[in-house]
Amino acid sequence: MTVRLDGQLVRLEGACPVEDAEVLLRLLLASPEAAVDWRACESLHGAVAQVLLASGAPLQGPPASPFLRQWVEPALRAAMRRGGPFPKGEGMP
Amino acid sequence: MNEFLEQFLIESRELVDQASGDFLALEAAPGDRARIESAFRAVHTLKGAAGIMDFHAMGRALHALEDVLSRLQSGANLVTPALVAGGLEAMDRVTGWLDAMQADGVPPAAADAEADTLVARFSGAATDPPPEASVAEEDWAAELLARYPEAARDAACALRYAPDPDCFFRGEDPLARVSRLPGLLALEIAPAAPWPALAELDPFACNLTLLALLSGPPDAVAGLVTGAEVRPLRPGARSADAASALSEPALALLDAQLDLLAGHPGEGAAGRIASAGRVAGNVLRHAGRAGDAEAVGRAAAESLAAGEGSALARAIARARDGGDETPAEMAAPARPAADTSPEPAGPSGEAAARYLRVDMERVDALLTLAGELTVAKNAFAHVVAMVREGGDPVAVAAALSDQQAGLDRLVGRLQQTVLGLRLLPLSQVFGRFPRLLREIAGSLGKPARLVLEGEATEADKAVVDALFEPLLHGIRNALDHGIEPPAERERLGKPPVATIRLRAAREGEQLRVEVEDDGRGVDVAAIRAAAARRGLLSAEALAALPDEGAIDLVFAPGFSTASAVTDLSGRGVGMDAVRRAVERMGGRVAIESRPGVGTTLRMLLPFSVMLTRVMTVEVDGQAFGIPLDAVVETVRVPRSRIVPVGGARAFVLRGRTVPLLALGEALGRSAGGTQAPDVSVVVVAAGDQLGGFEVERLGGQMEVMLKPVEGLLSDAAAIAGTTLLGDGRVLIVLDPQELLA
Repeated sequence: MTVRLDGQLVRLEGACPVEDAEVLLRLLLASPEAAVDWRACESLHGAVAQVLLASGAPLQGPPASPFLRQWVEPALRAAMRRGGPFPKGEGMP
Repeated sequence: MNEFLEQFLIESRELVDQASGDFLALEAAPGDRARIESAFRAVHTLKGAAGIMDFHAMGRALHALEDVLSRLQSGANLVTPALVAGGLEAMDRVTGWLDAMQADGVPPAAADAEADTLVARFSGAATDPPPEASVAEEDWAAELLARYPEAARDAACALRYAPDPDCFFRGEDPLARVSRLPGLLALEIAPAAPWPALAELDPFACNLTLLALLSGPPDAVAGLVTGAEVRPLRPGARSADAASALSEPALALLDAQLDLLAGHPGEGAAGRIASAGRVAGNVLRHAGRAGDAEAVGRAAAESLAAGEGSALARAIARARDGGDETPAEMAAPARPAADTSPEPAGPSGEAAARYLRVDMERVDALLTLAGELTVAKNAFAHVVAMVREGGDPVAVAAALSDQQAGLDRLVGRLQQTVLGLRLLPLSQVFGRFPRLLREIAGSLGKPARLVLEGEATEADKAVVDALFEPLLHGIRNALDHGIEPPAERERLGKPPVATIRLRAAREGEQLRVEVEDDGRGVDVAAIRAAAARRGLLSAEALAALPDEGAIDLVFAPGFSTASAVTDLSGRGVGMDAVRRAVERMGGRVAIESRPGVGTTLRMLLPFSVMLTRVMTVEVDGQAFGIPLDAVVETVRVPRSRIVPVGGARAFVLRGRTVPLLALGEALGRSAGGTQAPDVSVVVVAAGDQLGGFEVERLGGQMEVMLKPVEGLLSDAAAIAGTTLLGDGRVLIVLDPQELLA
């Protein structure tokens, strides 16, 4: 499994395919306080990145691959800072 | 000319034809969305082809046109007559380039300047009508540059990529695409629309917009991310608002307009004046020379009214030379108009010949045959002389029969040799897949390599050409469903980079073509479940079906379409299309699956168009053919020896009772009224059964190319195919097995 819940941490590991988006979304909805640990993440489908961005979940990095480290992580953090309309927790049911 | 250039020319001309047809149709019906789509696809493919050939000028021009078309697609702009004219002009220009490449093997030197003209024209067309939109268009790139001043220095282009919401379903990964772009300098990821509450987020609907600055060339970037907006950045041109010096490309553009105005008065002058005026105006405005632009605009109106371009040429020349008072008489003739005229010169459309690569040896064989045919023809002179001299009829007949036999042999060899001319190596179709595989594999995030085997195997051109589509489906399917994701492969101890083999081999009269992957094999249980869900078969029938039979269900029409709706990945995409294509060629297709090891899609195809020897017979005044390999002999049977057996008739041939069928009646024609004492009977073998066809007259034998029956007749039993006779009539060739059954 490339996405799993480990206590209060959702772990993304290896190459996360498009299917992981739904699993990740479910886990984040079930544990709104969870942070996402993507230190073992090698690659990330756009759909998974989208869930990270929409949820605003705190990210524990840096991720494993250079592309994610150099480009995706800063881009996601910047987008979340720019005020994705949700600072953490808002928008939850 | 090398093979790829040849292929490029052939394909490009087809695409140009397609796009031109679409533009013409749009002129008549500007709202026709299907035509807009079609033109977009053609231009897009053409651009890709130019990219493969490293023909950057063509790529640039088509990219600009593609931008215009994509705005039409999104409804942001409407089809205007000017736009149609621009599209057609671009297609004419591309045709000119293709002609030049066909003649010289390399892109023409003038292409760059001509492409600039087109680009300027299209960027004008794109920004002209809705000014507020164009401001916003400009903004994103400018803002992006402002946010990343470091990156801006080296950026060659800015990218805005807003994949459509369904892109995940198509297997696209926007992030993976961006990761492959050359020279990434800055990346921004933002929601396209504000995020909904997390509980309402659809994880599979893409709501991302990606912005990037890149140092890679705009053409290359645009080629890698389809549907994205790529804005080339030319820092020099942009900062030249000092109103003084015009940049190099701007000068070239103005020159091109002067050339345009210099030649060819008369027909089309108005169009050229309008076009030159617009381009020159845009160039000057872009360079911050609003005053000159205005002067050019006024001069263009004046020239249009006068019907000749000298006023406009004067204004452009003045602006070009820094606004001083150079008289036009000096500026215009100084230009070598004849050499650099952008009008397409030389042969155009009809030069679009279709090529076939032919081995020299085969041409030599044909020459030899032609020589032998001449000898055979001369031999007839001898026979003619015999007849003139009142020679013995028996001797004449013998000589004629000799000659006829000789000719028969020669014609047979001629036919074979000519068929041989149509033979192509499969590398022609295989060679297109390495690049396609890379693209598909990249978009699916499954690294794979392609191994070609037996690509030197030859087959008829028709077969080679028709193989592309089924092979593409096969490869896509292998990547989509066969190959596991890299992580899973690693866990299974398989190499992370998958291998797909395209293999071809000759097997007797057949061609075997295979697509083999080293993936997980076919999930038979999933296929059974899907078939049950869709009601393709009853539960009992499914339970009784062996695994091989269940795998065959992926070829069932409707299996794929239904699944594409229900499953995210679209299981079994296009496999029924594969079967249709292969069966159209008269071949068969099967899948062999080894769970955990891989899947093989195997196609068995006829090696060439089939030649069949038939015997003609006449029934009710109409000729029919009977395949000779079914005919045992022909006999004349006295009516008295035909005896009724039950409701049918039969006769005895050398101690065997042979059922007799009146062919006319069997084919639903009149029974034929002759009551001659004997009947002509063709004895045919069907399996180990003999049968006799009663016919009115026996004809000769001939070798024909049998065409399978299509359309309305395709359901008619007892017809093996049709062929054209020398006099243009259609000969229907019967299927004796069916008739006797």
